Amino acid sequence: MSRGNGILKGELKAPGGKLLKCELTLKKDIIATLKITGDFFLYPEEKITDLETGLLGCRINLKNIQPILTFFFQHVELVGATPQDFINLIMLTSKEKKE
Amino acid sequence: MDRWRVLIHQTRDAYTNMSIDEILLRNGTPTLRFYQWYPSAISIGYFQGIREEVNLKACQKAKVDVVRRITGGGAVYHDEKGEIAYSIIAPIDCVPSNIQESYEYLCTGLIKGLHLLGVHARFSPINDIQIDHKKISGSAQTRRYGHVLQHGTLLCSLNLDLMFRLLRITQEKIKDKHIKNVKERVTSLEIILGPIDKDKVIEALIIGFKETLHIDFKQCEMTPEELSSIPKVRKKYVQREWNFKR
Repeated sequence: MSRGNGILKGELKAPGGKLLKCELTLKKDIIATLKITGDFFLYPEEKITDLETGLLGCRINLKNIQPILTFFFQHVELVGATPQDFINLIMLTSKEKKE
Repeated sequence: MDRWRVLIHQTRDAYTNMSIDEILLRNGTPTLRFYQWYPSAISIGYFQGIREEVNLKACQKAKVDVVRRITGGGAVYHDEKGEIAYSIIAPIDCVPSNIQESYEYLCTGLIKGLHLLGVHARFSPINDIQIDHKKISGSAQTRRYGHVLQHGTLLCSLNLDLMFRLLRITQEKIKDKHIKNVKERVTSLEIILGPIDKDKVIEALIIGFKETLHIDFKQCEMTPEELSSIPKVRKKYVQREWNFKR
């Protein structure tokens, strides 16, 4: 993980085999920008932006983001990673700030 | 036995190849397509960050195109001489509804075809085919308009030095592959069989799909309507807005 220009970057190798990457900016612990990339499969594909925009303005803690991700993944099909991998990825990336 | 069409001998650039796959998916006529890439290109998965995965300067220098796919999965280097690409478009009810199972189901056609060439390959979840734990084929799938599109690659020969100059492959990506070097992860038909005739390989793959899907194939050309829609769809794949969207 690395930090530059206020952008937090993290990556996580899902036990399912795929590599997830996250770019995150926080303003006073509120998600200001979020991008999740990687070689996973998600159907329908364009829904990924719903996840990214759905988390904007959310305070970065497990209690807040978990229900949003759980709801999101009830409406899409994910292959090569699990919803928990996405949660772990975002939390891991956010903690880079505190190091 | 149902009869599907097969399209072969198509060598196009990356943007046209991806346009054709999208057009065939929209059209929905059950189709097996074999094609090649000229010039060589990199395709990246729908969700990948182009700058994270591709050394864009090296691509420009090597005159290698870069295109984003409508399918997920990883970045792939498509060598103009070293690959047979395929796509299959099928009604969604022709494949298992479980996506993981449907990858395996469709890859079985390739595996059977390889078997006919004397190559013993096996499916490696999620979306690869391997020989002796080395990747020889990768596929990616999307489902839209009531149809499934699975496209992928079969490595005929390798240009590993160029491939690894163009792609940014991190050690993180291969850390559970039980190998020391990413270059140990791939193989090709020529490594296994020696010089190959691509037409004969395609012939075997068609038989492989025929036997596993229980489908008859008839060689056809794209329809005039499909061909005429290429320029419009191709515009999307050429655009920076599409390729740099992530």
